[in-house]
Amino acid sequence: MGLSGRVTLVTLQVVMKIIKHYQEEGQGSEVVQGVLLGLVVEDRLEITNCFPFPQHTEDDADFDEVQYQMEMMRSLRHVNIDHLHVGWYQSTFYGSFVSRALLDSQFSYQHAIEESVVLIYDPIKTAQGSLSLKAYRLTPKLMEICKEKDFSTEGLKKASVGYENMFEEVPIVIRNSHLINVLLWELEDKSTVADKHELLNLSSGSHLEKCLQMLMDRVDEMSQDIVKYNNYSRSLSKQQQQKHQYVQRRQQENAQRQSRGEPPLPEEDLTKLFKPPQAPPRMDSLLIAGQINTYCQTVKEFTSQNLGKLFMAEALQGQGS
Amino acid sequence: MSRFFATGSDSESEESSSAEEITPKATGTAFNKQNLLLSDDEEDTKRVVRSAKDKRFEELTNLIKTIRNAMKIRDMAKCLEEFEQLCRAFLKSKAIVDKEGVPPFYIRLLADLEDYLNQLWEDKEGKKKMNKNNAKALSSLRQKIRKYNRDFETEIANYKENPEQSAEEEEEKEEAESGSYSESEDDGEGVTAKSFMKKKPAAEPAPEASKFLKGAADDESESDDDDDDEIWGSDSTDSGSESEDNEGNAASLALAFLKKAQDGDRQADRKKEERKRRSKRKERAEEEAEEEGLEQEGGEWEKVKGGVPLVKEKPKMFAKGTEINIPVVVKKLNEILQARGKKGTDRAAQIELLHALAAISEENNLGQGIMVKIKFNIIASLYDYNPNLATFMKPDMWKKCLDCIDELLDILFENSNIFIGENIAEDSESLAVSDQPFRVRGCILTLVERMDEEFTKIMQNTDPHSQEYVDNLKDEGRVCNIIDRLLQYLENKGSTEEVCRVYLRRIMHTYYKFDYKTHRRCMGIQGESKSEQDQEESEGEDSAIIMDRLCKFIYAKDRTDRIRTCAILCHIYHHALHSRWYQARDLMLMSHLQDNIQHADPPVQILYNRTMVQLGICAFRQGMIKDAHNALLDIQSSGRAKELLGQGLLMRNMQERNAEQEKIEKRRQVPFHMHINLELLECVYLVSAMLLEIPYMAAHEFDARRRMISKQFHHQLRVGERQPLLGPPESMREHVVAASKAMKMGDWRTCHSFIINEKMNSKVWDLFPEAQRVREMLVRKIQEESLRTYLFTYSSVYDSISMETLAEMFQLELPTVHSIISKMIINEELMASLDQPTQTVVMHRTEPTSLQNMALQLAEKLGGLVENNERVFDLKQGVYGSYFNRDQKGGYQQKQGYQRDSDQRGGYQQRQGYQRDSDQRGGYQQRQGYQRDSDQRGGYQQRQGYQRDQKGGYQQKQGYRGGYRSQNQSSY
Repeated sequence: MGLSGRVTLVTLQVVMKIIKHYQEEGQGSEVVQGVLLGLVVEDRLEITNCFPFPQHTEDDADFDEVQYQMEMMRSLRHVNIDHLHVGWYQSTFYGSFVSRALLDSQFSYQHAIEESVVLIYDPIKTAQGSLSLKAYRLTPKLMEICKEKDFSTEGLKKASVGYENMFEEVPIVIRNSHLINVLLWELEDKSTVADKHELLNLSSGSHLEKCLQMLMDRVDEMSQDIVKYNNYSRSLSKQQQQKHQYVQRRQQENAQRQSRGEPPLPEEDLTKLFKPPQAPPRMDSLLIAGQINTYCQTVKEFTSQNLGKLFMAEALQGQGS
Repeated sequence: MSRFFATGSDSESEESSSAEEITPKATGTAFNKQNLLLSDDEEDTKRVVRSAKDKRFEELTNLIKTIRNAMKIRDMAKCLEEFEQLCRAFLKSKAIVDKEGVPPFYIRLLADLEDYLNQLWEDKEGKKKMNKNNAKALSSLRQKIRKYNRDFETEIANYKENPEQSAEEEEEKEEAESGSYSESEDDGEGVTAKSFMKKKPAAEPAPEASKFLKGAADDESESDDDDDDEIWGSDSTDSGSESEDNEGNAASLALAFLKKAQDGDRQADRKKEERKRRSKRKERAEEEAEEEGLEQEGGEWEKVKGGVPLVKEKPKMFAKGTEINIPVVVKKLNEILQARGKKGTDRAAQIELLHALAAISEENNLGQGIMVKIKFNIIASLYDYNPNLATFMKPDMWKKCLDCIDELLDILFENSNIFIGENIAEDSESLAVSDQPFRVRGCILTLVERMDEEFTKIMQNTDPHSQEYVDNLKDEGRVCNIIDRLLQYLENKGSTEEVCRVYLRRIMHTYYKFDYKTHRRCMGIQGESKSEQDQEESEGEDSAIIMDRLCKFIYAKDRTDRIRTCAILCHIYHHALHSRWYQARDLMLMSHLQDNIQHADPPVQILYNRTMVQLGICAFRQGMIKDAHNALLDIQSSGRAKELLGQGLLMRNMQERNAEQEKIEKRRQVPFHMHINLELLECVYLVSAMLLEIPYMAAHEFDARRRMISKQFHHQLRVGERQPLLGPPESMREHVVAASKAMKMGDWRTCHSFIINEKMNSKVWDLFPEAQRVREMLVRKIQEESLRTYLFTYSSVYDSISMETLAEMFQLELPTVHSIISKMIINEELMASLDQPTQTVVMHRTEPTSLQNMALQLAEKLGGLVENNERVFDLKQGVYGSYFNRDQKGGYQQKQGYQRDSDQRGGYQQRQGYQRDSDQRGGYQQRQGYQRDSDQRGGYQQRQGYQRDQKGGYQQKQGYRGGYRSQNQSSY
């Protein structure tokens, strides 16, 4: 609980390993995942190593992931590497990571190991020239809800969980050993300017299109969800009305009976008579909203950066001509 | 045949020796009963009624018997069951009972049964012993019979008064019954022999008959049973092929009856009468048998000595010395015909008999009237040869039939004084040679129609890829010839109705044939080089003129809807086949057939489908791509073109179609030579779809609500895309798909080479009569549509483009390019203007980029989302009225409409439009008086702001959302 607000320290080695993992195995929208190792030091979570989950096909169903993880950690301990499980990482495709699967697995991680985080690595943004690595944790409120598995409207309302406070982002600091820093300095001297040119790429269309495409898909889903909810609430209110009418009728009848001196009708179980319609779970729409939010953030960030670049280019052009 | 002719003219010994058949399977020789045929018409008709009655009564007595048996063994369940059946049977025979009165044996049973049941009912002990089922049955039966007997109260009372008489009668009846049964059971010999002896001790055939009977009775007891059933009615007039023992039975039975008739004084009148008639007949039969007995015997011996195992039956037509005149022949004819349709009649023999009769009558110069009559009957029995209507006639049979019809027509043409008609009664026929014209019953039209149908059936059942099919098809000429002759004949003599029918036949044989002669004549080519035969052929009447004449007559005169419908469809088909598109289309539209064709019977629907397809293909040939596509859409989109055109059955699982249905469907198939090439059909459809769809797709690339013009075409495209490895196209479909892809890029040359090449020529295009013209049209269309596609796809790349360049690129003339581009500009498909002096197209660059498009779509979707969200909110507020109101004429729909046309106008305007639109929406809601507090309205305006300025507004929108939410929460 107390971890929120803390800083996560990540070593360059972990970053490189994650990137390498994606480069080797991830393609397009495919997602790669792996385990983070490290330890909690004071109020920091230090992630010092990681290893990937192996890709395995449907064929070898007997592959035991847990077994593999245990084996892996044991082996790492033998070579004197931090072997404490502190979370997991996942790559993302245009920022689409807010999903039920992520929520569930992060919940189980956080449930078992309190300090767990999930690192989200965005290869596309990284390819554009700025490393995108983010650490997320579920907020305590969401943890509560997940624990109770109460995803109804009321439950969410009571916990006052909105899409914006489902996840909390933990700031990341990349920290290296001095030796590596020295190496980096040396490398920086050697690298040419051209290597950094991706940062100045002016084209924006395709990336934005892609983002919009996915955003649109989510919006569609959201619409459907709302329609579903709408239907539900309409049928609920209709039933409420019926129930009310029924109760009134019953009361009237009883009043009449009483006036005639007859015994009143027995009370029937109203819940049996009027089964409330199945409330659609709200968690999905919450997640979708969260995802939409992420997309929007991505687009916003991207456009503002690009605008800056465009202005810069304009200025440069003006000078040149 | 020659044999029969010989029989007719040969010596008496030959003639008399016949009446003998030794079939390999029969146990013994059989007497031919042909010589016993002698019943006359009058009796015949009566017999039918009697037979029905007797059959019913037989059924009743059988049931009664079983009931009595059940009564004996106290099987109440069985009793009940049988009683129910009996009631049903009695109900069935109600008509007869009404006429004849309730049969006494029935009453007897009812009375007895009731008594019996009452008795059982009283017997408490016995009832206890009964098992549950029986007891139940007993009580229900008792109730039933009580109720039932109320209807017969008087009869039962009568019976009870005088049980004696009724019983007697019953006994009698039963005895008679047993008499008839005994034949089938065992002692055929005894009975026959004895009875024969009694009456006609000197009857020659008797010993032989009994001998044969002995053998046959066992083997054919089954058939005997049948015959026993029939014996009351049918019997002695059976055909020659029937085995002798039947006859023996009949004879002996008759004798038995005779004997009984003598002392059966107390019998009911009905029975007496019946028997009298029978006996009279039998006597006559006997006499004749006697007459011929001697001769037969002689013949028989001769045959046996000769040791010929298989002696063909030789009909002995007339007794020696009989004067052959018309009444005799007619009588004979009737005799032969009576055997028609009976079980065990040898149909082949019957046909031969009729031929022989024809020969005899010809020989004796009995005149054409009788000839015509016999011919009619020969043809009819040829049709009868095949008992199953579903199977087809054997081709040789059919050819015989063809010959006969030909001859018949010959006679009819030669003798104009013969009247034929269905409505001439048998007895008003005049067949004799006299001054009066002949009057013969019969309908030649029906015969010809049947012949034509059989022809279709033969064609359906012949393998279309065999030489046999070709051979059979050659007969089509003869069929047409016959129909033509019939047409001539009926034009002079027939009623309009008949003329309509024969015209339709003629049309049916004409409409699907392409008139190459006229075509050549029209083309005006190779006029000189034609061979003589060709010239001769080309002198025949133009089929279009024939069709026109015949169809117009039908339109004017026909009163049955079906013939007219068929004629119209055939006419359209013929027009379409000969590329007379406008006539065909106008006729189709005028006929209004599209509206009610679904009420027609399946063959007409198939014809309709064929016509539509032909119409579509015709439109295609004329370059009316859109019309072609529309005409073919229905047939092609179902994916069952084959089935719809009656050109084959689709493989389907058996649940959907059982064997019976399959047979029916098979019968509907169109013969192979009339088929429309399905590949051609599909190709025409796909190419027209391509020419329509590709430019459309290019024009509406970003339209979210884009509709498909042709689903099937898209399906083909998808199939093409799914291919992991794309080789050079092989099939027709692959060619079209490859061509479509080329066209998408505006590459008309590649497209052209895919559509028109060796393979496609041989597969499709060469099938058209004017292949070259069609190909030229296609090239032209491909160029034009490629140009359009190119402009749609790449207009955003250009600032301006010279029309000359375009003309060169697409090898079109400048004016054509000009007109195409002008059309596109007018239709607001292309945002451009023409610069006249420089002959260039200047693009307005108003098409939204894909990103803009995307943003627009997103905005639209968000609009929907907000709309939905508001509904939820409304529900929470409980403002039902305003919610529904808004739903009906809501701003969202307005917006949709707005966007649809603004889509075409270009992005900038569109965005403006969108703003305006959102203003409207806001305004609309305000106008609606939608009660919100100021906070909320602020939220709305914020949203508008968002739309005005997307980037800045984003956060505002968030604010709006927050505001919305807080509003939401605070309102609880």
